[in-house]
Amino acid sequence: MINLTINGKAVQAPEGSTILEAARSAGIYIPTLCYDEAVEVYGACGLCVVEAEGIPKLLRSCSAKVSEGMVVNTESERVVRSRKIAMELLMSAHDGDCVAPCQLNCPARTDCQGYVGLIANGEYDAALKLIKNKIALPASIGRVCPHPCEKACRRKNVEEPINIAQIKAFAADMDLKSDSYIPEVQEATGKKVAVIGGGPAGLTAAYYLTIMGHSVTVYDMMDKMGGMLRYGIPQYRLPKEVLDKEIAIIEKTGVKFVNNVKLGVDFTIKSLKEENDAVIVAVGAWKSSSMRTKGEELDGVYGGIDFLRGVIKGNAPEIGDKVAICGGGNTAMDACRTAVRLGAKEVYVVYRRTRNEMPADKLEIDEAEEEGVIYKFLTNPLSFNGENGKVKSVTLQVMELGEPDASGRRRPVPVEGKTEEIAVDSVILAIGQKLVTDDVQELELNERGNIIADTDFFTTNIDGVFAIGDATNRGASIAIEAIGEADRCAKAVDAYLNCQELDTRVPYISKRDESTIDYSDREKQSRLTPKVLAPEVRNKNFDEVSLGFTEEEAQAEAKRCLECGCREYYKCKLLKVAQRYDINPERFKGEMPQKYTRDENAFIERNTSKCILCGLCVRSCREVMDIHAIGLMGRGFKTDVSPAFALPLNETKCNNCGLCVQLCPTGSLTEKFNLEKQVPLDEKYTEEFVEIDGKKSSVLVSRYNGKILRAIPNDEISRNSGLSREELQNLLK
Amino acid sequence: MRIVIGQGSCGIAAGAEKVRKALLNTNINAEEISITGCIGMCYLEPIVDIYDDDNKLTRLVKVSENDADKIAEYIESGNKDAVKDLIVSDEDSEFLSKQTRIALRNCGIINPEQIDAYLSVGGYEALKKSVKDMSPEDVIEVIKTSGLAGRGGAGFPTWFKWNAARQSEGDEKYLICNADEGDPGAFMDRAVIESDPHNLIEGMLIGAYAIGAKHAVVYVRAEYPLAIKRLKNAIKQAEEKGIIGNNIFGTDFSCDFTIKAGAGAFVCGEETALIESLEGHRGMPRLKPPFPAQSGFWRKPSNINNVETFANVSWIINNGGEAFAAMGTEGSKGTKVFAVTGKVKRSGLVEIPMGKTLKDVIFDIGGGMKTDKPFKAVQMGGPSGGCIPAELIDTVIDYKALGATGAIMGSGGMVVMDESTCMVGMAKFFLDFTAKESCGKCIHCRIGTKRMLEMLERITKGEGKEGDIELLEELCYSIKDGALCGLGQTAPNPVLTTIKYFRDEYEAHINEKKCPAGECSDLIEYKINADKCKGCTLCARNCPVNAISGTVKNPHVIDTDKCIKCGKCYSVCKFGAVVKE
Amino acid sequence: MEKRTVDLSLLDGVLEEYAQVKGSLITILQNTQDIYGYLPREAIELISEKTGIATSEIMGVGTFYTQFRFEPVGKYLIMLCQGTACHVNSSELILQTIKDELGIDDGETTEDGLFSLKCVACLGCCSLSPVMMINEDTYGSLTPDKTKKILRELREASK
Repeated sequence: MINLTINGKAVQAPEGSTILEAARSAGIYIPTLCYDEAVEVYGACGLCVVEAEGIPKLLRSCSAKVSEGMVVNTESERVVRSRKIAMELLMSAHDGDCVAPCQLNCPARTDCQGYVGLIANGEYDAALKLIKNKIALPASIGRVCPHPCEKACRRKNVEEPINIAQIKAFAADMDLKSDSYIPEVQEATGKKVAVIGGGPAGLTAAYYLTIMGHSVTVYDMMDKMGGMLRYGIPQYRLPKEVLDKEIAIIEKTGVKFVNNVKLGVDFTIKSLKEENDAVIVAVGAWKSSSMRTKGEELDGVYGGIDFLRGVIKGNAPEIGDKVAICGGGNTAMDACRTAVRLGAKEVYVVYRRTRNEMPADKLEIDEAEEEGVIYKFLTNPLSFNGENGKVKSVTLQVMELGEPDASGRRRPVPVEGKTEEIAVDSVILAIGQKLVTDDVQELELNERGNIIADTDFFTTNIDGVFAIGDATNRGASIAIEAIGEADRCAKAVDAYLNCQELDTRVPYISKRDESTIDYSDREKQSRLTPKVLAPEVRNKNFDEVSLGFTEEEAQAEAKRCLECGCREYYKCKLLKVAQRYDINPERFKGEMPQKYTRDENAFIERNTSKCILCGLCVRSCREVMDIHAIGLMGRGFKTDVSPAFALPLNETKCNNCGLCVQLCPTGSLTEKFNLEKQVPLDEKYTEEFVEIDGKKSSVLVSRYNGKILRAIPNDEISRNSGLSREELQNLLK
Repeated sequence: MRIVIGQGSCGIAAGAEKVRKALLNTNINAEEISITGCIGMCYLEPIVDIYDDDNKLTRLVKVSENDADKIAEYIESGNKDAVKDLIVSDEDSEFLSKQTRIALRNCGIINPEQIDAYLSVGGYEALKKSVKDMSPEDVIEVIKTSGLAGRGGAGFPTWFKWNAARQSEGDEKYLICNADEGDPGAFMDRAVIESDPHNLIEGMLIGAYAIGAKHAVVYVRAEYPLAIKRLKNAIKQAEEKGIIGNNIFGTDFSCDFTIKAGAGAFVCGEETALIESLEGHRGMPRLKPPFPAQSGFWRKPSNINNVETFANVSWIINNGGEAFAAMGTEGSKGTKVFAVTGKVKRSGLVEIPMGKTLKDVIFDIGGGMKTDKPFKAVQMGGPSGGCIPAELIDTVIDYKALGATGAIMGSGGMVVMDESTCMVGMAKFFLDFTAKESCGKCIHCRIGTKRMLEMLERITKGEGKEGDIELLEELCYSIKDGALCGLGQTAPNPVLTTIKYFRDEYEAHINEKKCPAGECSDLIEYKINADKCKGCTLCARNCPVNAISGTVKNPHVIDTDKCIKCGKCYSVCKFGAVVKE
Repeated sequence: MEKRTVDLSLLDGVLEEYAQVKGSLITILQNTQDIYGYLPREAIELISEKTGIATSEIMGVGTFYTQFRFEPVGKYLIMLCQGTACHVNSSELILQTIKDELGIDDGETTEDGLFSLKCVACLGCCSLSPVMMINEDTYGSLTPDKTKKILRELREASK
């Protein structure tokens, strides 16, 4: 035996063993990407380098042998620097998306590709569970979310994005129709958390903290939970019955609700903090913003959300026949369409830019117009004119578009001296909403009048008091934004309650350069949208406009997904090594070595653009299996792995033994899932045994939600069995 | 009377074969006309050497086939006036007279295609002496005394490698000659093989005897067809004479000899990659250890040296290790051959004792610059080496001294540059080379050299940004540290040395978007100096995009918007009126 | 790689001599290219059959070395030297001249099948830089005009 020291630890290793072997047997981790016991050492990746005292060069530990008295450091500054640059270089030439852009653009990081893919395969339960990892109210959010996911969806470059929101609503509705999924709650921690505000943010935080085993109570000033989802969104867009059912599931999970109690009246933040281990302030923004326009104080001028809340609570204000709504967002749309349904004859939407700049959802804009709403684009209220204290008309300044502003939208500028006047019975100001600051006097506020909360930990100026949602920092935003904060806040609160440190660093992931992606091989297929009630029917009542996707529609739409995110994300060795080092491959950004090409047979998919040329596939195919289906072609930067003559895998001697996919450290060679539509899923491989020709043989099996997703032969018997994958999977069942 | 025509590749390219044929068409006795290899004065090719019956030499240079009759007249009459325009100048003669030739001692003198020519100058005596009178250990001892170090670049002591291979267990061993001379700008090995192939064979056989190898293999790059042809011919002749084969010189020593042609991969100059290639594989380096001395060709103990190293061996055996060690410096013994090229007046092969200075080679022997622009730098060691600036011209030729500059001795390429060469462009040139030649196995070399090249390309296009130099340096050091083989580990040297000595040039490209040497086309503009322009219209007629306007005898003007910076006008103007800014 | 019909019997001698000699793959490929001017796919398949070396290995070797081609080349193969001395002596101008004159890029063949252009590693004639080889002949001390003249003469000669 040889005695050596690794990282200060005395290690013994048999003579002739490598430093890597010695380190591994002593439980010391050294990263490798091209090493595997099954094949000869290769030395390409250079990640296994270590420093040994007295040796000037870095040693590749996969090949350098141990010697008596050797003093090895596997994590010295020089070693880490070398590995870091190696990973930066490697990732600069790795053309792949770890995670789909839809998921990355969702403020709550919902696994859109995952659930869309599962729905395409008809796996609705699994899809719902995946959604509920991030969204506690998916049927409601699916209906109202302005879906930033769809803005990032790359299918838009082919024709139109996937209808992700409606697919989500479909899955959630399916769940509500049957035995709804109630998540398993972890063992009680004995910790108590109070949440102030039962809107999307508060409910979400409460739901996830409850699942973590904490005892959570939500306090809300209104009759029922739901916040803006209930009191700010009209019935025709989100039926309250749907919301009720979803809230009931949250309650069933174990969240306690207390309604009709008001902060500052019935309790204070401090008083709650005394009774609880942590308090989350999620009070929202309930005051309509002012336009600072002359005449706002007149009777008949209403705030947008005040108006909507009144209608929902059954005490709609008097609006008359002619209504002008000021604003171009979704609240303006909700207000104008509600006004139509209340029977107003002339409903105007006054907006200072044009249709193209309207922040509201395009579908809303179109549907409102179908319902008879009249748009007054490029106009801005100069004054609201009244008679006897009651609004009678609006003077509009005519505008035109000038230079783009900071947001990139063209700035509206007044056309000197050009005005217009419209007669109205009422005006609704839908230009934004604000926190009612009187309620949160105990907390420190910023200059906008919002609660100052840490953007990573959501802490406020009071220890143990956290704040999220519309009431904080930059103010009101969309529900999914608040939900994302709530999810992260739940983790922060959990860490706080357990006195643990929370790592909020965003781990590195690989992203493709959007500008280099070629879609020309994709067949065009139009986006599906759910059927809606006819305009002349729906403008007279508050029935839900959208009829939702049928099962066929949802599946067909889900199948359009381009599968951007990598199927191997959850088990990618390359990514795990990359995330160990603080890498910034951007600084070496340059040409990608390989085009994004896909080659597949029934079980294996090859994607050359993700290949890191570790050579494990080629070497195992040659050294272990003696099949030589693939080889290294070309040289230098443009080296690639391919069958001879660039033949498809199907025309080679490949026998689908699966060794290459098993050894591939990234997503370049993958075994396909046993699903029609391929989906990246957080699966786990476990070793199982089958009998092949009377011999016990090892197989690595991945199951998800009880279903076998993939199975890889794990010894010579199964590799050489000649069994097709279906046959092998049948043996496993 | 003997008429000898220099027929190395350079000579042939310059027209030596045409000259030979023309001479054969004259009334000169064909038997008097013969060939030799590379004389070394490549810039004067084709060269015809005429030895009179007293073996006195008259050297004619830059001969063309049209000169054949003049030469015939001279041969016939003995009147030198007939060829007085062709006779080499005294100044040019110094190019050779100032050299000390050991490895090249027969080059350009004997006929490389005839073994008898080699035998007549004492050829194969050293082999005979070694196998008959010396033990392998004795041979190694002599080489040790000589201080001979590997001439391929790294400068590792030859005796040490031989001894390691000798000590390795096994009766199957290989002696390999690395003739994969891939450094762009180097042609010493080619000249030796083309001009004196038997000297190489003899050196190799002595080496094989020393390490106990029964097989000798030469790995020659495919770009050297003439070298391969002459070497094959030499092997055949040596076999016929019993010099190669069984029981050489009646002893127990037997050795066969094979040639393998490379197929175009610079990395095969790396010894483990060379072995992979010899075995018929992709030339991707193996991990070391194990070293070739333990496990090389076909996993048997193998020793690899380059051509010039072997070319010194027979001389050392004949003259003794001490005689060789008497030349050179403390750490670098003997002579070194350089291929001096570029903007130097006299280019060709130069062999000088170690310890001379770069100035001796470039100015004394090479005659200085061929243009009126001042000397700027010399590139040594090719893609693995670096640029040594003018201020270090007195650097001594010695492994250590050259290494201290950041360049390396290298295999002997010496490319001389004047002020018109952009040093960023030079670094880019070499990175382009290494990136293309990278085998692609290890990350640092495969991706690192490519990324360095991209950065250099950006810089020379005027797209460099602050921090690029530092990023380049960071990448350089980590490639040196992390690359698998010598190719990658040394690839950053051209960048590091140019940054070290010409940082201001990099900064000018990045900060001012200017190329001080006026070479980077994206950073220059062509203009016409109206004072110098005579209105000859030559530039306008040559402009491929009609960007130049003007009338006869009046100054012309370049429309910079139309100009594609091809440099055509600049090169055709006879009055120096076109300027680069 | 496109399949073409080639006379495989031309390979008999080469394969007889080298097929069973280990380590001979590069030699076999060099001989094959000498015969056909490139490496036809059928020839590679035959070599694989006779040597027992998988086609993926042969292609791996073939694509590693710059000497090998997989498409037929023109009657005149122009090999333009990319060595340092040539670079310093403006070989870039010669490359541009050839490209302009023939309308082809590195690695391409003219439509009439007359010329192919390949930029190659140092040819070792540095003293004559810039240098190119056309088939077996070397041309040194090139200038754009000289280059054009050489190409035009070759074109004329082949008419």
